[in-house]
This record gives sequence, C-alpha cells and structure tokens, in this order.
Amino acid sequence: MAAGRGRSRPFGGSPVPPPPPAAPPPVPSAPPAAQPPVPPVRSVPPAAPPPVPPVPWRPIAVGTPGPEFEARPPGRYAFEFPDTECDGWSTPSLCLRFASVRGAQHRYSGKPRQDAARAACHEASGSVVFAVADGVSGARRPEFGAIEACRTSVERMLHLLSAGDGPLDFRDVLLRAAERLRQLAQWWQGGREPEPGEVADMLATTLVAGVVRPDPAGPVAELCRVGDSGAWVLDRAAGRYQALFGAKTGSGSPVVSNAVTPLPHVPDPLERTVVRLAAPHTLLVGTDGFGDPLGDGDGQVGALFARQLATPVSPPWFAHLLDFSRETFDDDRTLLAVWPHPGAPAT
Amino acid sequence: MAETKGVLLPAYVLADESGSMSPYEQDLTHGLVSLCEGLRAEPMIAAKLRLAVLGFSDDVQVRLAVADMRRETSLPKVEIRGLTNYEAVFDDLSTRIPNDVRWLRGEGYKVHRPVVFFLSDGQPTDGGAWRRPHRELTDRARTPTAPNIVACGIGNAEASTMVEVATQPEFAFIAKPGTDIGRAVAEFFHALTASLVASGQALNSGAPQLVVNRPDQFSMAIDEVGQ
Repeated sequence: MAAGRGRSRPFGGSPVPPPPPAAPPPVPSAPPAAQPPVPPVRSVPPAAPPPVPPVPWRPIAVGTPGPEFEARPPGRYAFEFPDTECDGWSTPSLCLRFASVRGAQHRYSGKPRQDAARAACHEASGSVVFAVADGVSGARRPEFGAIEACRTSVERMLHLLSAGDGPLDFRDVLLRAAERLRQLAQWWQGGREPEPGEVADMLATTLVAGVVRPDPAGPVAELCRVGDSGAWVLDRAAGRYQALFGAKTGSGSPVVSNAVTPLPHVPDPLERTVVRLAAPHTLLVGTDGFGDPLGDGDGQVGALFARQLATPVSPPWFAHLLDFSRETFDDDRTLLAVWPHPGAPAT
Repeated sequence: MAETKGVLLPAYVLADESGSMSPYEQDLTHGLVSLCEGLRAEPMIAAKLRLAVLGFSDDVQVRLAVADMRRETSLPKVEIRGLTNYEAVFDDLSTRIPNDVRWLRGEGYKVHRPVVFFLSDGQPTDGGAWRRPHRELTDRARTPTAPNIVACGIGNAEASTMVEVATQPEFAFIAKPGTDIGRAVAEFFHALTASLVASGQALNSGAPQLVVNRPDQFSMAIDEVGQ
C-alpha cells in the first residue's frame, strides 16, 4: 500500500474562486450610415479593478449572538495554551481538519482553554490517528490533563498501529493516558504518590481517541471515549448527523446534569464504536462545547456545519467557524473532522 | 431532541414579607435592587439564569415573574403584610416550579435543577403544617424538578428550622447573634448574587455543582443546632 508516501494532492482546501463576470454585450463596430463617421475605437485592455481591501472576519452569529469583548489573558502560566489552535492536512485517502477555541466564559474570566486535540498520520498504514479532550473545569489544572491525555493516547495508538493491524486495544490506550496523568500529578507534588482522587482533582479530563484506516470498501473509524465528549457521522448529502455515542443526559429527565466520570477513571466495559465512512460521510469528533449547541443537528448549528463542511475548508476558517457566537453557549469548543477523499486509493 | 437554546438555572428568591420585617422593608428593597444590578453587570451569566422573586407571608405573591435579567427593566418591590406561613410557600412552589420548568423547556431550553433562596426572620406560624408540602416538593422521586433550597434565618428564625428547610445541611445559615438585621439582609443578597454568578459557571462544567456562598455575619445553621 502506497498511502501517505509523498503523493499528496489537493483536496478542495481552498474555496473555488467565483466565475468571472459575464462579458459585456458586443459593441457595434460601426454606427448607422446616417451618422457622422466616428474614429475607430482602439482595443484597450480593461483597467484592472481597484484593489478591494481585505475585510476582517466577523464573528459568525447563530441565532442570538453572545456579547463581544476583548479576551482577558489566561494567567501567566497558561502560555502553552493559546486561545485558538488549528491544523489540517491530507493523506492520499483522508483529509483532516481540527480546531480548538477558548470559550467566551474563559475569555471573559481570564482562564485558559481547557479543551485540546491532537492528530497524526500513521504513514505505513495511511491511517489518521486522533484524540480530543475536555479538561474538567472543576479540576485544578484541567488544561494540562486534556493535552497530556491527547498526546499520550496519540503516541500509544501510533505504537499499536505499528505493532499490528488488528483492532486497537483501547483499554491499553486509556490506561496509558491515565498513568500519564498520575505521573504528572506525582511530579507536581514533588514526587509524592498521589492519594486516590488527587489525580482527578488536579487533571480530570474527558477523552475521545481513535483512528480512521483506509479500506477498499471505505475508510473505517474506530473510537473510544471516556466522559461526555462526542462523535458523529455527518451525512453531507442529507445534512444529517448520526451520533456515535449516547447523549450525555437522559432525555427522560426534565432537569439536566453535566456530571461526567472522566479520566483517570477507565470504565469497564469501555465505550467504543466502529463505523465505516461512505463517500458522503464526514467523521466529526468534538467536545460538548460543540455537541451541546449541535444537539441532534437539526437546528441552525447543524445546518451551518453541514453547509460549511460540504468540502474541507482551510484550517483557519475551520477554527473561525467553530468560534461561532450563540448566546448561553460559552464553553470551550473543539472539533475534529475527517473526510474520505473521493476516488482515493483504498490501501 | 431539537436544537436547544441553552441550559438555564431557574432561581427563586423567597423574601419574608411578614409584619415583623416592617423595620427592614427598605433593606429588603435595596437588597433586591443590588441583586438585579449585580446580575445585569454579568450578562453572560445572566443569560443562563432565570430569576423569580416571590414575597411570602399569609400567602405567596409574585414580585418578579421568571425573568431574563438582561432584559428585565422593572425592579421587584416588597409589601410588608401578615404572618409567616411556610406552608403557603411550599404549596406554591410545588406547583410553580414544575410549571416554570415545563414552560422553559417548551421555549427550547434545557434546565438545571432549580434553586430556591429562602430568607425568613421568624418561625413558621402554621405550626408543622409546612412539613408535608416541603417533603413533597423536595422528594425527587415525586417531584422530578425538586429544587435545591438554601435557607437563611435572621431575627427570630431558629437554626434547627433552617436546617429542616434547606435541602442540605451546608445550605442552611443563621445570622450570628446580635447582628443588625438590616445588615444581615444586605449580606444575604450579596452572597446570593455571588452564588448565582459562581453557579452559572460551575453548573456547565463536567463537575457541576451549585455554589452557595455563606453570607457575612451568618454562620452555618447546622453548627448552631443543639448548642
């Protein structure tokens, strides 16, 4: 299989330029005979249109927007957690975009972004490996928990892919991530072994980790999750979203709770799923900052993303899109998307 | 499940309007004004709250219907009258809260468990009749929208009664002996505003919790019981 070996090709990453304006109707070459003669018109190239100054992107409002304000700094030791991160690239078979943006509440209160995402290409198999995490804001340093869980799980999945091509051992992946959180907590405590609960108090985080592998019948995504972050298959043709994990609150109760059981807890059994992506499908993985306003996807947020993600957009635009403004939805947001390339080599 | 407009925290302030509060009517009014202004100063938090102010004595009267404080322009005005009928309070809430939650859900919102901030300066004048509706209101099996109740006692209110009214011992407070009641009322509203602002942030986290700040000049009622 030759996937991922320097045969990159563009895949709709740039918007298609609009067609040029229609040519004006032809001008008669000569006036009616009764008119006095007119000197022939010289053919002059049309003057270049005056340059249009670029217009800064404005926040994308969905329904009633939230207030606009300049963000406060996130604290002196949060310099490794910028307000916004984005990435994007393609393999011969798959196209990836992700972004993670600080929510309005954290921008207002001067806290860092506590979501994280990481993705990598496993060149030998042409697979895309990814992780998305949402640090639990009740913890003391959730932003570290989120990024460390992403880093560790991506590294471990790359290792497991290199070791064999069977189903990923997600328990191994999650236990590695949980152990990394424990090590970090221990380091912060000057080497003292954390008491039960201390790792969660410091670094608790949700996590969705997974891989998309090329396959002759269509790419196959395998995912697992701990906590209430989500994953969906967007059917771009129909504009519909299929949730790959259960909703975070029971629909039968009139009151909601956001309570989650995050890492370092590793549940038994694991919550995992496998799905094959057809050509009109896009895999989406996101934190509840995206999943809550999305709901079932049949409202304004769902329509916006179904329309905008019909083809891969540039990574900065993907981040700007994710940073849409809608009142009451002020949590950090992270979204990762994987498109199958149409007609891509499968293996 | 259709697209949601957001998740709201319905909050109810129950202000004692019985005759014994007469000397503190201005303090109550000023406290309510400071609450409304404090929430307007936090528009992102206020967007996630719906506030109702109810005055109680012989019955319950609405001083501010469930309102979005970013847009509400009227200020609640208390009216001193009658006795201290706790039974009327919990009977009223048993109907009012489920109806309000149903209405908010119908408007496209999801709803956190409601919270009641209860302020009284005296012992209930209905004997123990209030315990039945209180029990029914706070039983989550019977009333799925059962609220958390924060109880603050001033004047002649007793610590043990506040512990009974509150849904958790740490939600019951009693003004320290000798505290000026007017100041205690002001502190109650300061703590109430801070609690709502903090809860507006904490309830949307993965470790949701109702944040209840102890008002200055108050102690935990559970610490006073039995002393």
